[in-house]
Amino acid sequence: MLLAGNPNSGKTTVFNGLTGGHEHVGNYPGCTVEKRTGHYLHAGRSFLVTDLPGAYGLTSYSPEETITRDAILKGGAAVVVVVVDATALRRSLVFLAQVLEAGANAVLCLNMSDEAHQAGQRLNLPEMERLLGIPVVETVGRQPRSLDVLREAVAKAATRAAGPSRVVLGVRQERAVRQVCDLLLKAQSGQISRWRAIQVLLDDPAAVAEFSEGTPGAALTLRAVARVRAALERETGQQADLLMTAAWYGFVDGLLREVTVSGVRPDARAVSDALDLVVAHPLLGLPFFLAAMYGVFWVTFSLGDYPMQWLDSGIGFLASAIAGAWPEATLPVLRSLVLDGIIGGVGGVLVFLPNIALLFLGLSFLEDSGYMARGAFLLDRFMHRFGLHGKSFIPMVTGLGCSIPGIMGTRILENERDRLTTMLVLPLMSCGARLPIWMLLIPAFCPPPWRAAALWLVYFFGAFLALLLALLLRRTLLRGDEAPFVMELPPYRLPTWRGAVQKVIERSWLYLRKAGTVILGISILLWVATTWPQPRHYRVDAEIPRGEVVVTDGLQAANLPDGVVALTPGEVAHRRAAEALECSVAGRVGRILEPLLSPLGFDWKLSVALVGALAAKEVFVSQMGVVYALGEGEPEREHLRERIARDYPASTGVALILFLLIATPCMATLAVTRRESGRWSFAFLQFFGLTAIGYGVAAAARFLIEALS
Amino acid sequence: MAAVTLTPALEDYLETIYGLLRGQPVARVRDIARDRGVRPASVTPAVQRLAQMGLIRYERREHISLTPLGEEAARRVFSRHQLLTRLFSEVLGMGVKQAEVDACAMEHNLSSEAMDRLTRLFEFMRSCPRGEADFLPLLHGCPVFTEGAKCDRRCQGESCASAAVTLATVAPGIQVRVERVDAVGAIRRRLLDMGFLPGTELRVERRAPSGDPLWLRMDGFQVSLRKAEAAAVRVVPLSAPDGEDPSPSGPV
Repeated sequence: MLLAGNPNSGKTTVFNGLTGGHEHVGNYPGCTVEKRTGHYLHAGRSFLVTDLPGAYGLTSYSPEETITRDAILKGGAAVVVVVVDATALRRSLVFLAQVLEAGANAVLCLNMSDEAHQAGQRLNLPEMERLLGIPVVETVGRQPRSLDVLREAVAKAATRAAGPSRVVLGVRQERAVRQVCDLLLKAQSGQISRWRAIQVLLDDPAAVAEFSEGTPGAALTLRAVARVRAALERETGQQADLLMTAAWYGFVDGLLREVTVSGVRPDARAVSDALDLVVAHPLLGLPFFLAAMYGVFWVTFSLGDYPMQWLDSGIGFLASAIAGAWPEATLPVLRSLVLDGIIGGVGGVLVFLPNIALLFLGLSFLEDSGYMARGAFLLDRFMHRFGLHGKSFIPMVTGLGCSIPGIMGTRILENERDRLTTMLVLPLMSCGARLPIWMLLIPAFCPPPWRAAALWLVYFFGAFLALLLALLLRRTLLRGDEAPFVMELPPYRLPTWRGAVQKVIERSWLYLRKAGTVILGISILLWVATTWPQPRHYRVDAEIPRGEVVVTDGLQAANLPDGVVALTPGEVAHRRAAEALECSVAGRVGRILEPLLSPLGFDWKLSVALVGALAAKEVFVSQMGVVYALGEGEPEREHLRERIARDYPASTGVALILFLLIATPCMATLAVTRRESGRWSFAFLQFFGLTAIGYGVAAAARFLIEALS
Repeated sequence: MAAVTLTPALEDYLETIYGLLRGQPVARVRDIARDRGVRPASVTPAVQRLAQMGLIRYERREHISLTPLGEEAARRVFSRHQLLTRLFSEVLGMGVKQAEVDACAMEHNLSSEAMDRLTRLFEFMRSCPRGEADFLPLLHGCPVFTEGAKCDRRCQGESCASAAVTLATVAPGIQVRVERVDAVGAIRRRLLDMGFLPGTELRVERRAPSGDPLWLRMDGFQVSLRKAEAAAVRVVPLSAPDGEDPSPSGPV
């Protein structure tokens, strides 16, 4: 069975309620729109559910609508459940009327009926069923128990075929539709649904193309249809598409007049409206928005700091416990693998899980409450100047959590060019995977009072750059017409705790899984690459007998001849470990890359870490962890932050941050870009373009800072 | 048509009962009382009178339903109310809320001849091909009607419908009715799907900082539209900025 309906009707909540998590998310063949299917059991039978993308009409003006249209017209589903927001009946029922005209075996599901009831709306359901000729149920998507009636209705409907459409158009429209039906039947044998006839009458390109294919003499019939349309327009003085839409609205209005016992109270949305007075205020709106975004980051950074510290000490404790219990002599290689490779690597990333979870929580709250639409409203004019669409804002903010759903979310943009532009610049919206990097680097190079502001600045700069780049793209490669901006503003709804927590758990679990697989695998790989081959002699060991290095306990620093360095035993061990690192595969690769990256102030250690970051950004942190754990000579987790702060100047730190912000989107991002855009060329453009820009900006920043200090 | 003379008060009661019965099988005295905002004790005499006239059935002193006679009478009252409402809102261009209030005030005094003519007026507007296209827009496009201005011949004999405002220029807080949609292509389809049809009432709620896009309140939902696209929608401002959502009032 299919779940169709307008966007914001709560369709997906109903879907989740029906399938209870037994779902599969994939792709529609030949295109990139997400396809969600699931199943549930009822009265001993299994029902397969497909959640169709939200659509306002059965037309073909966007990929989502085309999918919905095709699924309903050709899919051969037993039942089509039209999910409708019970508080916005008039418009939603027009969609139902179109579905009925398409000959579907429909069930009307009045969702969010609790809100409608609270707002004072009462409907005569039996009368509605009688007038429409289909079952009508009321549900509350958020309460899975209320879905039982829906399951019942679907089961019953599945045993019957669809009845004739009860939709009544005006006299003239009906006549015209009948004429077209006759014309089409004469030219093409087989069933012609009223919907198809209407679409051909309205000269819908997809319907006309469908009809012409495989119908000899189609041109003649189409000319006759055109004559019918012209006559209709002449008779009424109105354009045909307007007439049809007016007819549907007329039908719906008539229906509602008959079945509405009491309507929605005018003050039903009082709270939502009051909120909007502030949120969408011409003067207060934007500051409020910026404050909200800052609030999310502040929560992520500050609030997340506490659990992060606990995790950190926990992992450190685990590491030292193992180090203590496992004697160095037993299986030293395995020991190193576990302590340096795994705990050092993966632990470095796991530690940031609380921050990531909080970020996801904040973003999902903003999204589900309906605030994002307000944001798009406020920012449209601004984004429009950069060649983007107000709606682009939503996938871009999603990209703050992870680029992958962000890029997939660009499908809400109807215009191809808007979509591609947004997709290409999306990685500049610093994603959740980069958060561990910022949490590592910002405190390393930034004094405490400025840290939250610095983080905010990083995100802001990324967004700013994204806009500039979008402008550039829109002026050059992706020049073209713009899509209209018609966006629904849903009422504010308090997201359920369960829904929010579920989403956060889902996404955090993905993060953990990524950690458990990709990052673990790469950490091990990198550990191997940084451990072997091992040097046969250590330079520092040779320097001691030669007198170039003197081993002290740190006190007698003075009175040394020139060129002689005093080192504590710990520092000697450190040097030894560093040399081992240099000798290894990773070290050599780093050395090779070093001249390339030295304008940015990166040494080979950073280069090695950056290579790892190609696979997944978090790997940068874990790889730094590995490098320093090994470089330490002992598997102890001293704070990476301090080590890095010690080893690199601020200019390098800034360059590093900028480079990681802009360049080398991770492999997963590239893969999704390729899938969503359908072309490898765009994925490559994204990769090389962003890397080149990142390199340039980082180098320029370093130069600037060095020149100024 | 049986000649049952009802007082205005009784007609109102009948109307209320009819309304209630559309949603439930029987109406109770206390439902009627709540609906009309009076005490149950006040309802009883009226209900008894209606029962006496054979218009309602009074079961168990609590549950009320309409007899066939009563149903006929109620329907007549109801449709009178509707016709008047539509006259005020659709033809005279008043906000729906005010139209309801005035309809309530006038309906009892409407003669059957007046009602007959009203019915014919609406039938005319519905069936005459030029009724939809010419009559109402002509009326609603003329400033003499919309603003109470003196005729200054600005239309020069042509209809002032061309002087109608577009959605792009309407100030926030104003209730308007759509008159024409001049857009083409994808945006036209999108506008139609969203319910921007001649006859639809909506309200310009606010504008974003810098004036673009617009925030519009439609029937049951809200929509945001850019000025450039809004300019393709011709509208007629309604006389008084109404405070709330309009109830459904589709095209004729």
